Amino acid sequence: MTIHTPGRRLMHDIPLKFVTKHVVGGGGRSVNAGLSLTSMIDFLVVTVVFLLMTFSASGETPVSKGVNLPKAENTLDMIDAPIVAVSGSQVMVDGAPGGNTRAIEDAKRMQRIDDLFNILKSKRELWKTTHPGKDFPAVVVLQVDQDVTAIVVKSVFQTAAFAGYPNVSFMVNSIPKAQH
Amino acid sequence: MGGVSVDSGGKGGRRSLDSEINMIPMIDLLMVTISFLLITAVWSHMARLNADAQVPGPPRPTEDLQNIPPEKQLHIEMRSAEKFVLIWKQAGTVISTVDVPRKDVVSVEGATRVVRFPDLAAKITSEWTTVGTHRDATDKKFDQAILHTDNDTPYGAIIGVIDAVYQVHRPFQSGTKAESVPAFNMTFSVN
Repeated sequence: MTIHTPGRRLMHDIPLKFVTKHVVGGGGRSVNAGLSLTSMIDFLVVTVVFLLMTFSASGETPVSKGVNLPKAENTLDMIDAPIVAVSGSQVMVDGAPGGNTRAIEDAKRMQRIDDLFNILKSKRELWKTTHPGKDFPAVVVLQVDQDVTAIVVKSVFQTAAFAGYPNVSFMVNSIPKAQH
Repeated sequence: MGGVSVDSGGKGGRRSLDSEINMIPMIDLLMVTISFLLITAVWSHMARLNADAQVPGPPRPTEDLQNIPPEKQLHIEMRSAEKFVLIWKQAGTVISTVDVPRKDVVSVEGATRVVRFPDLAAKITSEWTTVGTHRDATDKKFDQAILHTDNDTPYGAIIGVIDAVYQVHRPFQSGTKAESVPAFNMTFSVN
């Protein structure tokens, strides 16, 4: 490729000093700063991987208002079952009112909670209607506040068993196992 | 524009092989993914402790129930504030009784008062090792533990005892899969 002599340029007499100043490096420090993308992308990728590893597709099991669950180490994974919440003297079944335990606390003896019994029994019948030919799992999850007394817990436990749910699970917050 | 130069050393008058990967869509994708995962993250892990109400199953007329030997059961009394009492019974007959001094290890985590009984857990483990019946991995049955409490025991303490009972593990063969499972089934005494 041959070398040509530069030809005429338009407005070559205009000095354009500010351009010359920048091109030869005589100006001040440039305000145009570069951003290192490599470390930023590394950080984002590590964050995504961590969040993906801790992601739970089943979501969070709702805890009724006012229920402060106890914590335990030797636990099992949660299962899908009707949830009976006991907070104070109020009993809730899957978020709907399911009776009251005040009579049990006053009498200081185990009693069947009739509202809870009827709701659980109707849930059992509904499950059997919608799942014909399948074995009923008979599991119910108790979501009980840590300060509720044993007499109430045993009454709810027995009521659930009488209603056809003998496999009772106690919902707890899982904590890592301590070194024994 | 953010980009990564991939210089392959192209030279001459031909079309340059020096290309840039556009990083902006990638960073946008990462940001959206992080936002989604942070919003949907579950930080509290719910779990459960299993119990069994010991309801009799349907009648099995083909089995001779007279010749089935009664099982040994571990009764755990927590009525006293000073001690637990571990009683092994078989068909109503007391086989052995052990007193375990009650030492509540209490820690407060947030609003929760966590009660643990490590001494009880250690004693139940040693008791099961010597007296427990169903220890083989192929055994489908489990030893039975029955908890006796007074009416005013707080639920948090009950969970502490159940947690101590479930600390005892045994091997269990489920099909081709071998796993470690709690050695006891747990239930409550009604009286």
